[in-house]
Amino acid sequence: MNMQDAMAKPVRHSRMAMWRRQHAWCLRDSLRQLARRPLGTALTIAVMGSALALPLAFYLLLVNVQHLATALGDSQSVSVFLKQNVDARGANELAGTLRARSDVGAVTVRTPQQGLGELAAMQGFGDAIRSLPENPLPFALLVEPRAGTDRVQVAAMVRAVRAMPGVDLVQDNGQWRARLDALVALGRRVTLLLAVLLGTAAVLVIGNTVRLDIRSRADEIAVQQLIGASAAFVRRPYLYEGAWYGLAAGIVAVLLVLLLEAVLAVPVRDLVASYAGRLHFGGLPWVTLVIALAVAVALGWCGAWIASSRYLARLGNSG
Amino acid sequence: MIRFDSVSKRYPEGREALIDISFAVAAGEMLFVTGHSGAGKTTLLKLIALIERPSHGTLEVHGRSLARMKHREIPRLRRDLGMVFQDHRLLMDRSVADNVALPLVIAGVPHEERGQRVRGALEKVGLVGRGKDAPSSLSTGEQQRVGIARAIVARPALIIADEPTGNLDPQLSEEIMQLFVKLRETGCTILIASHDLPLLKRMKQRVLVLDHGHLIDDVPASQVA
Ligand SMILES: Nc1ncnc2c1ncn2[C@@H]1O[C@H](COP(=O)(O)OP(=O)(O)OP(=O)(O)O)[C@@H](O)[C@H]1O
Ligand SMILES: [Mg+2]
Repeated sequence: MNMQDAMAKPVRHSRMAMWRRQHAWCLRDSLRQLARRPLGTALTIAVMGSALALPLAFYLLLVNVQHLATALGDSQSVSVFLKQNVDARGANELAGTLRARSDVGAVTVRTPQQGLGELAAMQGFGDAIRSLPENPLPFALLVEPRAGTDRVQVAAMVRAVRAMPGVDLVQDNGQWRARLDALVALGRRVTLLLAVLLGTAAVLVIGNTVRLDIRSRADEIAVQQLIGASAAFVRRPYLYEGAWYGLAAGIVAVLLVLLLEAVLAVPVRDLVASYAGRLHFGGLPWVTLVIALAVAVALGWCGAWIASSRYLARLGNSG
Repeated sequence: MIRFDSVSKRYPEGREALIDISFAVAAGEMLFVTGHSGAGKTTLLKLIALIERPSHGTLEVHGRSLARMKHREIPRLRRDLGMVFQDHRLLMDRSVADNVALPLVIAGVPHEERGQRVRGALEKVGLVGRGKDAPSSLSTGEQQRVGIARAIVARPALIIADEPTGNLDPQLSEEIMQLFVKLRETGCTILIASHDLPLLKRMKQRVLVLDHGHLIDDVPASQVA
């Protein structure tokens, strides 16, 4: 095709193709703008990345505390320590009485020797126990409530057992679990609050960056509008800019959390080993990380949207 | 193509820039607007592109009434319009080719066709090979020609030019005017604001004469001497 023909053909294309090409151009244009001031861009991304990493890190901790809770307290067991003067026969009799109750499932008798053995196996207790003149531990009963009993019934059972002769101390392990659950619930709220606060901060940071950028390019916007650019066209590069910021910050946040996981992995592995595999440290699943990225992009877009809306609204009033 | 009907324009805190202007321009016509500095030439062109809205009267462009045109309809109007600005209005941080390509980008023209059209437009204004340069490395006259290339690149049906030869030497002015004449032969309507009287006399086209906001004369091409 020669120049004359190219010049003579009127500009007319399908709306879809037109729209796609405009977007491609705006996408490139937004990247160009970011690359133009690398330091400022990097700084904004670092700030927003750290802000987003914090709730993710909290979430990581929360997930693992939850693992811990599951591993530690999935039994509702109750430990019953007997008085020092109760002997093996007395302990077995009491175990029999308890087994007869409708709210009790299984009862295990633990001799003082078993208890001492367990203590000795724990790190650091060995020497102290060897130096004891005699075994100070009483007989103990490990009571499992019958499957299906709830916390109220277990609490009633604990009260009943406490009143029995020969019983010295009753420790409700399930209560411990309930406390941990409450703690996890609290942690969940704190994480959510943090996510909302820092997400808002991220929107504001990006909104402000984009606002400054729009202001510094006011002349260019004016020219674009003079030669027929629609409000949507003028705005698009800035929306993409916000989305790029969000994406980059999201990647920074995810990398920070992966780093945190890596740093925690070693000490946690040791801890896990001491619990003989009942506990496992889990990193955040990739789905969560992908969602975090998507949310970051959405936040960036949102910030740019707010900033550009305000600017264009002002233009609308003056034009 | 253009119709002014008792149009007046008063700037918010200024005196009246245009007073009771009426005239009509047929499609395919080429005409000049002239007058002393401050006569209202730029204001008249701005009304046509809805950069300013008239205070009184009605005007039509492309058969569309501009007086009550909604804000979001303005981009459409301007896309059908090639505008050359008195102060060129180039984007200084973009290459010459990018500047010229901007109307095509806004219209969503494919990349390859864009390149071709930009080369064609630069060729017409005599700036072949300067596409990659920054506008700031060009002379004022060359910058003016980049502005003209940008105005014609999308083949608009109407071109309005504000002092397009203001910074050009007589020979270049002549060349640019011949370019407008050629564009007009393809059916384009062309309205040029200029106070270059010798040039107007050579061009022998219709001339509107403004004086302190009044349209004092409308000289047909045949009577320009
Ligand atoms: N944005 C504005 N606000 C207020 N007054 C304005 C504005 N633009 C122009 N004017 C006034 O309107 C009148 C006409 O101005 P205009 O720019 O149309 O003149 P012109 O014929 O283009 O002059 P020149 O040949 O110097 O470009 C002048 O008195 C000017 O001061
Ligand atoms: Mg002027």
